[in-house]
Amino acid sequence: MRDFALIHLNGVRREIRGREALMMLAEWLRKEAGLSGTKIVCAEGDCGACTVLRASCRARSHSDQYLNFEAMNSCIATVAQMDGTHIVTVEGMQCGDHLSPAQEAMRKCHASQCGYCTPGFVMAISAMLERHDQADARTASNYLTGNLCRCTGYAPIVEAALTVRATEKHSVARRYSDPHLISESVSSTKLSMLVEYDGTKLFAPVSLREAVTFSAAHPGTRVLGAATDLGVQVNKGKPLPTSLLSLHLIPELYETKLTRSRVTFGSRVTLAEVRRVSQDVAPEFARFLNLFASPQIKNVATLVGNIANGSPIGDTLPFLLIAGGEVHVASRPGAKGVVRKRKIPMTELYVGYKKLALEIGEIITHISFDRTSAKEVMSLCKVTQRKDLDISAVSGAFSLTLKSILKASRNGKTTPYVVCARIAYGGVAATPLRMPEVELALQGELTTERIESAAHLIARSIKPISDVRGSASYRRVAAANLFRRFGNEVLRG
Amino acid sequence: MADPIRALGAAVKLISDSGSPSHDSSITHVTGKSEYVDDRPMLKGELHCGLVYSPYAHARVVRLDTAPALKIPGVICTVTASDVSHNMWGSIFQDQPIIAADETHYVGEVVAVVGAETKEALAKGIAAVIVEWEKLADIRTISQAIAAKSFIGSLRTISTGDAEGALTSAPHSVAGTLEIGGADHFYLESQAVVVYPKEDGQLEVHSSTQHPTETQHVVAEACGLRFSDVVCIAKRLGGAFGGKESQAAPIAAYAALIAQRSGRPARLVLSKDDDMIITGKRNPFQIEYRCGFDDKGKILALDAMLHSDGGAYADLSTAIMERALLHCDNAYSIANMRVRGQVCRTNFHPHTAFRGFGGPKGVAMIESIIEDIARVVGRDALDVRTLNCYDQTQDITHYGQRVQNNHLPALFASLENRCEYRKRREDIRVWNAERSHKNNAPVRGLSMTAVKFGISFTTRFLNQGNALVNVHRDGTVQVSTGAVEMGQGVNSRIASIVAQQFGLPVSSVRMMPTSTEKNANTSPTAASTGTDINGAAAAKACESICSRLAGLAIQLRSIPAELWATKTAGLGTMPEIIVGDGVGPNGTDDQRVEFTGGHVTVTDRSGAVFAIGFAELIRDAYRNRISLSDYGYYTTPNLGFDKVQGKGNAFLYFAQGVAASEVELDPDTGEVKVRRVDILMDLGRPVNHALDMGQVMGGFIQGMGWVTTEHLVYDINGKLLSHSPSTYKIPNVQDTPRVFNADLIFNEGNTQNIRGSKASGEPPLLLSLSVWTAIRDAIMSARTHSTTEEVQLVPLAIPATAERVLRGLSPESFAIWDAQEASGVH
Repeated sequence: MRDFALIHLNGVRREIRGREALMMLAEWLRKEAGLSGTKIVCAEGDCGACTVLRASCRARSHSDQYLNFEAMNSCIATVAQMDGTHIVTVEGMQCGDHLSPAQEAMRKCHASQCGYCTPGFVMAISAMLERHDQADARTASNYLTGNLCRCTGYAPIVEAALTVRATEKHSVARRYSDPHLISESVSSTKLSMLVEYDGTKLFAPVSLREAVTFSAAHPGTRVLGAATDLGVQVNKGKPLPTSLLSLHLIPELYETKLTRSRVTFGSRVTLAEVRRVSQDVAPEFARFLNLFASPQIKNVATLVGNIANGSPIGDTLPFLLIAGGEVHVASRPGAKGVVRKRKIPMTELYVGYKKLALEIGEIITHISFDRTSAKEVMSLCKVTQRKDLDISAVSGAFSLTLKSILKASRNGKTTPYVVCARIAYGGVAATPLRMPEVELALQGELTTERIESAAHLIARSIKPISDVRGSASYRRVAAANLFRRFGNEVLRG
Repeated sequence: MADPIRALGAAVKLISDSGSPSHDSSITHVTGKSEYVDDRPMLKGELHCGLVYSPYAHARVVRLDTAPALKIPGVICTVTASDVSHNMWGSIFQDQPIIAADETHYVGEVVAVVGAETKEALAKGIAAVIVEWEKLADIRTISQAIAAKSFIGSLRTISTGDAEGALTSAPHSVAGTLEIGGADHFYLESQAVVVYPKEDGQLEVHSSTQHPTETQHVVAEACGLRFSDVVCIAKRLGGAFGGKESQAAPIAAYAALIAQRSGRPARLVLSKDDDMIITGKRNPFQIEYRCGFDDKGKILALDAMLHSDGGAYADLSTAIMERALLHCDNAYSIANMRVRGQVCRTNFHPHTAFRGFGGPKGVAMIESIIEDIARVVGRDALDVRTLNCYDQTQDITHYGQRVQNNHLPALFASLENRCEYRKRREDIRVWNAERSHKNNAPVRGLSMTAVKFGISFTTRFLNQGNALVNVHRDGTVQVSTGAVEMGQGVNSRIASIVAQQFGLPVSSVRMMPTSTEKNANTSPTAASTGTDINGAAAAKACESICSRLAGLAIQLRSIPAELWATKTAGLGTMPEIIVGDGVGPNGTDDQRVEFTGGHVTVTDRSGAVFAIGFAELIRDAYRNRISLSDYGYYTTPNLGFDKVQGKGNAFLYFAQGVAASEVELDPDTGEVKVRRVDILMDLGRPVNHALDMGQVMGGFIQGMGWVTTEHLVYDINGKLLSHSPSTYKIPNVQDTPRVFNADLIFNEGNTQNIRGSKASGEPPLLLSLSVWTAIRDAIMSARTHSTTEEVQLVPLAIPATAERVLRGLSPESFAIWDAQEASGVH
């Protein structure tokens, strides 16, 4: 057992204990590590001013010589969660007196005015350069989606991201993949970690058995994924729960399993990884995840985290509701000493606003769902005030399994016939909703009239509220319109 | 047709190719080494400050007890209203308590400040303060304020001709009400201050303020100190946009009171949430207008009543209203006009300056009216605009100032060609006509609007500035002015001006932190005038120094070099050189002096040239006891606006521009996509082209946020709900126009201003109204085209949120649900 988190910071080994380990990383960097280049603006992972690069020393496969650095928001994760990783901040980017390519491009393109967002953008572009020697417009703007600037209007920043070229000398992976530090980190993190301060304990066991035992012994334990929601709540004044469980040292929770019909992700699999895997097995879900969150969030946040948080506007939930999603949960070993496991269908998981049908001490270990079949037409969509990186007013997930029938009356034209319909919405009630009555109404020949009546049924049967993202009426109208558009697109082939 | 403007100068496309010097902090910005207030290391014993504020729009403080907070370990002191020496401040009227005593008038109004050694102790301390509130009746809308006659300041009127008479006789007219929402500045660096107590009761204040002088004064008064006991320093700001012009002052006072009371350094850094909840925004406006015009769309008369929501206290709202009234004409000459303005007092955070300062509201009104006129007379809105545009035959504004050096007609004509306005208009007409066959394809709209923005503070006494220039003996220069660097590049521009005066590279000039110790009685860095005023003052200081150096150089020419003071180690083998009057920075008629390329040259009538290195001349000057420092003072000339009559020269000059925006609306969700934006501006002869382009593009996108996605939503208690970026949506990189062209014309005619430049801070923001008018164009196209071709003038509030757009496109689909909501049946 260790009583410290082991991190590497700009190439220097650090053991962090107690109070400092439970601080948010950005705050710790600024106030304890003396690295004030990292800025805190929103403290909720929405502006990217706190962007740093992070690479897990442990998740590497043995053949990789270099660490895999990715952008993340440092404002909403505790230092303890960085255990076993290497963190590089803006201060670690220069080589001697030489600006890094991202820094030089930002300077040359006049991409910095007040300068407050600038370190975050430098790090976002640097993350891009770890993957792409140079970027096209789409790649560049995707990497910049998680960063806000209020001065420049982005044009010069985009120009910097488009004109910059990676150089071997400045590669963060090459500069910071010290084999000695990596192997030390790997061996240290084979030990469980427990950090404590002022009545709060954060436990990171190396096995699931220890995890469920701890969870059962400490009712009210909060499991930390990436803490992208918990971190926000803490920053906004909610005290850190006194009992925290991080699963980052348990190898089996990083698994991805594919069978002919199902996909299973461990609870530590990030949304970025889920998106990569889904490109082949659930392409519409992968497309939708492009609009979901920023790179900084997707690189750390997990699909299980989105499920466990259980917000009615959780963007992945409508998809999981129509894709046969099941969560796998584990709890304390019974008499035979075996960790108890069971599965809960997504359709039965949510019993109230952010309330899950989990027993005390149960931990979600995996999520599984159906691969998208070639016979179904699926569409996932969301309505937001701003195009990207915005929380939905309404989100919808639609799937129609079709067979075509020949109709003599229409000059031999084929008409789609709905064999099976699955419809779910988020943002329209206290929980994400599957809508069986609409699904039933859609079975049969797909006609304009049928689509229209389903749209009306949707608008009537949801129970949205008016809030900061839109009125209840707007949600009803938009929810119906989303389906109407999907239906008509299917109808027109 | 030849482009009337392209002929004047080459266009610059890539920002990085402009060849302009970088922002003077560009390297420290990209390396993270630029220091902002909260980057200052915590000193031993330094306290974190936090605020206890009202959760109600209007409430009586029944009981306030800070004693429980003081019992918490680590909490060192608290401050309430009774601890404030002079508990009243205000930029125009002193009407706002720094800390409220018995009654609070908005959510976020501060009743106590807590100072603690750690953030944990501070959070506990704030929670431990006991406040009992009694909710009182409040005013939340402009309409309620009008009904209750709850006003700030008096009704202002500016008029010309006979608006009422011309309205009666006009062949056509439109009338309407325009709702314009506020906007949060969303500077990335929230309000921040650190105060260090110094010996003998003095305070050193490091504040993120646009107005160090006012911050110094408010701190001194709050703490019962003399102004000379307080120094306020602003090194750089992480954005401000007007939000730190007045409202940084009370924030600084809170920390100063804790520092004074505890004798320890004190730091107050607002969280983004608290910053957004507490501080004021762009004033919301409600405008009622009537406009008369002829068959061609020539405006004959305009009568408008502007009401603004000032929030709970005056702040700058009356000046903001004045600028709104002065911009109701925008680019258009209107012979008969009456515009009236009244600020309303409501129970919201006191609204304040925000880039444009009221100007955008007046401009929104007239640009929207022109779209209406075009629909009524059946002409393209661009033709209505050019018909009404100021030109040589119509160049007197409603307040009587002549529009000189006017490029507006040429700007319209040039951009029309450059952006292929006519062709795209036709393409969009065809697209919209055919879209019903394309599975509910997006609706498109196009609009071109203009800006004519008056530059100068409308309050005359603010149009003054001072600068201190110190030349050091290695030939490098330090410059201190009242200008605050907040990203706009004012320091870089002033450094360029100073470097040019001395003939030095910009790298020889270092801009120093803005401090009231060096530059007192300064104006806020605001109204886009930072460079105009402070750059001109710095240039004056340079001229004085250059005059003395020129006199020295002329004399040195006739003295053998081995006898110069620098060559004799200053031991005085030569009589000391005395430089008298009569020599200017350019020398004399006989001896022409130039400062160029790091040298000073003296050319006599024969053409013979004498040259000496700048640094060498400086060293000689020092040894001859010639001052190498000077203080420049500048006042903006030719201003004479009579606020009572509403007549006169309000501005030194106008910055001008036009923009065309094309948008696409999702008919199912109301989501807006900006397809293309073209901007063309006249900013005189830029001191720094790249920095000006940064202002143009950045200002436009900032304004685009205001007119589209930035929606301030308040709860039932009057508390802001959209108080963080998860709910308050400023534009993101994906929201930027798919095609974004911006260009400047080359105009050497603005000779009344420093270097022939024009201010670039605010004017571009107003061009973003073209996005809003384009959205409205699209909505009206969708609504008008269907069957009857009957003209529908669809009102559209600002911001044009997705919901408002969808309501505009298909009001019928909302009717049933709105009725259900209203009746409470679910």
